[in-house]
Amino acid sequence: MKLIIDGREVSAYPGETILEVCRRENIFIPTLCYHPAFKGQGVCRMCMVELEDENGNRRMVASCTYPVQEGLKIVTFSAKIDKVRKNIIRLLASRAKGSDYIQDLAGQYGVEPLDLPGLDNEKCILCRLCVNACKLMGSSVLAAVWRGIDKKISTPYEEAAEECIGCAACYEVCPTGAIEMKEENGQRIIWNKVFNLVLCQHCGKAYATEEQIALVERKTGISLPALCEACRSQNLAGRLKNFSG
Amino acid sequence: MPEIIDATAIEKACKEILDHYAPEPRYILAIMQDMQKRFNYLPPQGLKMLASYTGVPFSQVYAMASFYKAFSLKPKGRYIIKVCDGTACHIKGAETLVEQIYKYLQIRPGETTRDGSFSLETVNCLGACALAPVMVINEKVYGKVTPADIERIIKEYGGWADEGKQC
Amino acid sequence: MKENNVKEKGCTKIMVCCGTGCTANGARQVLARLEEKLRGNKNFEVVPVLKATGCNGWCEKGPLVKIMPEDITYCQVKAEDVDEIIEKTLLRGEKIKRLLYRDPQTKEFLVSLHQTDFYRKQKKIALRNIGEIDPASIDDYIERDGYKALEKALKYMTPDEVLEEVIKSGLRGRGGGGFPTGRKWQACKKVPRFPKYIICNGDEGDPGAFMDRSIMEGDPHTIIEGMLICAYVLQAEKGFIYVRDEYDLAVKHLTQAILDARRCGFLGKNILGSSLSFDIELVRGGGAFVCGEETALIKSIEGFPGEPRDKYIFPTESGLWGQPTVINNVETWANIPVIILEGGEKFASLGTEGSKGTKVFSLVGKVVNTGLVEVPMGITLREIIYEIGGGIPNGRQFKAVQTGGPSGGCIPAQLLDLEIDFDTLTREGSMMGSGGIIVMDDTTCMVEVARYYTNFLAVESCGKCTPCREGLRALLAILTRIVKGEGKMEDLELLQEISEVMQEASLCALGRTAPNPVLSTLKYFQDEYVAHIIDRRCPAGVCPELTVFEIDAELCTGCTLCQKNCPVDAITGEAKKAHIIQQDKCIRCGECYRSCRFRAVKVK
Repeated sequence: MKLIIDGREVSAYPGETILEVCRRENIFIPTLCYHPAFKGQGVCRMCMVELEDENGNRRMVASCTYPVQEGLKIVTFSAKIDKVRKNIIRLLASRAKGSDYIQDLAGQYGVEPLDLPGLDNEKCILCRLCVNACKLMGSSVLAAVWRGIDKKISTPYEEAAEECIGCAACYEVCPTGAIEMKEENGQRIIWNKVFNLVLCQHCGKAYATEEQIALVERKTGISLPALCEACRSQNLAGRLKNFSG
Repeated sequence: MPEIIDATAIEKACKEILDHYAPEPRYILAIMQDMQKRFNYLPPQGLKMLASYTGVPFSQVYAMASFYKAFSLKPKGRYIIKVCDGTACHIKGAETLVEQIYKYLQIRPGETTRDGSFSLETVNCLGACALAPVMVINEKVYGKVTPADIERIIKEYGGWADEGKQC
Repeated sequence: MKENNVKEKGCTKIMVCCGTGCTANGARQVLARLEEKLRGNKNFEVVPVLKATGCNGWCEKGPLVKIMPEDITYCQVKAEDVDEIIEKTLLRGEKIKRLLYRDPQTKEFLVSLHQTDFYRKQKKIALRNIGEIDPASIDDYIERDGYKALEKALKYMTPDEVLEEVIKSGLRGRGGGGFPTGRKWQACKKVPRFPKYIICNGDEGDPGAFMDRSIMEGDPHTIIEGMLICAYVLQAEKGFIYVRDEYDLAVKHLTQAILDARRCGFLGKNILGSSLSFDIELVRGGGAFVCGEETALIKSIEGFPGEPRDKYIFPTESGLWGQPTVINNVETWANIPVIILEGGEKFASLGTEGSKGTKVFSLVGKVVNTGLVEVPMGITLREIIYEIGGGIPNGRQFKAVQTGGPSGGCIPAQLLDLEIDFDTLTREGSMMGSGGIIVMDDTTCMVEVARYYTNFLAVESCGKCTPCREGLRALLAILTRIVKGEGKMEDLELLQEISEVMQEASLCALGRTAPNPVLSTLKYFQDEYVAHIIDRRCPAGVCPELTVFEIDAELCTGCTLCQKNCPVDAITGEAKKAHIIQQDKCIRCGECYRSCRFRAVKVK
């Protein structure tokens, strides 16, 4: 199907969102809660764009959740969109005073954080990418809990969760550095839980937690060689060479 | 309602509740309501059982329990005082009632007296606006409550009415 | 049961209002005493029938006891009055003057409720049965043409004709959005996927609104009948009623009604011999205001936290478990049987161009007659507040009326002649919402009101999207500093800008309307904001940090009322002499200011 984005005709497939089409066409739309591995969430609202009807009336929609339709006319930048994005950054910067990433963004957008009480040194912007990542890894120990202005990301009762395997997918995906992880003396501490790290037999690098390996082995039924990713591919490359040679 | 403290008793009671429902996520809310009525709060153990019974991650069950106001994650008192802070009650002085209750019971909304007798909550409109300001203790509704009535009402439930005395 | 009904005809009926208001004032005791005294009473040839009814709406005058067919209504009845009622009225046909309503203007004693100003202007459609029937009796409902609309639809109309009638009626959703009901059904009917679901939204959570509660408690079968008619249109087989768990009586009556309807063959397989099969399940809500939003309510039924999703695909296409779903509010459902029975055109003859029929409002706050009223759309606020509501009590002055629940707006005195419907209220920066009308007088601080609603919404928002969650956090912080006397004039621009962004970018209707209380008070009551910021004074005498009360010795009669009401004993003075407030003890709660009948307590 055909869409018109910023006056340009673009083709799209049914089931895609406006954001997905724009990403493919290299049309810039800023996002904070979007990651191509997951579906659009409509949470951060940075990706708001305007739709124009035949009478020239415009309305705002979130591009990450809006499904494309034939002939849709989309405007990805306007004074109104700019105002919304600046204010969202301002609000997030007022909340996440502890996040360098968000404070830098505020600088780039030229907005000052508001002086609001509470939330000292907060880094989380509740984008929920960590919740999605945790779910994708099969653990689902993280959730957005409580509601309203008390909403937060947490494990149940903020305690070490039984199902957590310490994979650190949440840590990796977090855009604002809000998830704390410590690695020392062969251990990883994340979400109040301590994990023993397994060392690569070849290079000696700590590359995963015992729980992670156990989970993979349980799921696949294959016993893995204790190698880090780099050594594993090296090993594999070597074996392939032998095979072809 | 008998006091339930030990883990086996909680487990048994939770099992009874779960047995009333099919193991589907759609019954989580109803099961939680039954648990709340039974224990006056949702015991962690019960939530864990609920998660494995319905096959929903524990984190999601916890998210539900914390999201809905009908549920409490901490044990509540025998008598739950709900002061309505709906609009009609608010503009007719509901906050003064909360202050007055603090004076007698030393508890703020969300707190329970040390002996476990009273819990105080402020609630959204109870739909009895014509009687504003309204206060409910367990099931009994008190309408057009004035600050001066608080002492008498609390006494009905055996609360100490001496100022500042902890009950 | 049927024979009982025949016997009841023609004999005296005593109806005790057992709505929440009357019950809290002792209606159950009145009922019990009547029961005790009437049972086997040898003085009667035919013992009168006693009924506990739902809310009559006039909670102010409860407990109400109505005697039919004579149509006598006694107000504020106590258990002690029962003997006299039996003795004089029931046995001798005399009226008891002191229990009748006395018109405050004409001083006339009015026998029937229908003669009172409170009822005269009302037009009851959704509330037609409430107060007239025992909600626990399906026979009572049937006697008043209950399930006749269903029979008419099933036997004499095609699903398309039924739909046509609903479209013709112009009925718009009574839950807040005001979306045309017929078009909603039509959209769902067009989707060629089954099963389809029907939901009744009974998660009434607006502070100051209790119309849905009253219908669920007082006439549960009308909801079931409305849903059945929709099921016939959509060929749906399953419905859900989502009701606030705090509404104990509503849960009880709905449960009973569903059981009775099944027993009588109105729910189940092949209803009334037709091909329609439909059943209803009751779901108790978890206590979350946001679940009034339909996508959140669906999430809640499915077993998740009630977080809304973007509604770019409507529930009519993808709703409960991804299936086509129609959700309507309680009051909407209550209108459906009447529309089918009497025709869409008749319904559409009431109301305004864009909003047809009647609307139930809960009239509360600083008004003489608080209660539930059902009036044609297009009535003015002045008629509701002054003619039906009897004006502002204690000789105070009207300041504003807040409509549409927490995300509605505050409408000032200059707009009292506004003919209210969905569109006019939205135009003036408020909304119909579910129909709360909260009257505020000069002792209400509009900045504090804005802070109150913002605080409510900050806690009740689901917290999913940035503009709503962080916007409310910011608004609340700014409003809090203004009511504490720490505001700056720049704060007003900030409030405006954040509000505008919330309206544009929030995910659901809750977030998009959440700034209404702030925006409407900024628009109509900016002087009060300025007074708080510049003069460090709260003109209404509400904000403790900015208020000092004093007693005007000239006006004070020494009635001691303020002294009695003062929670901290800060008022001294002898009876019949002017009283004094001890400022060091005073906590500025305003009890004295609100209760003084001589307006001797002043805000300095």
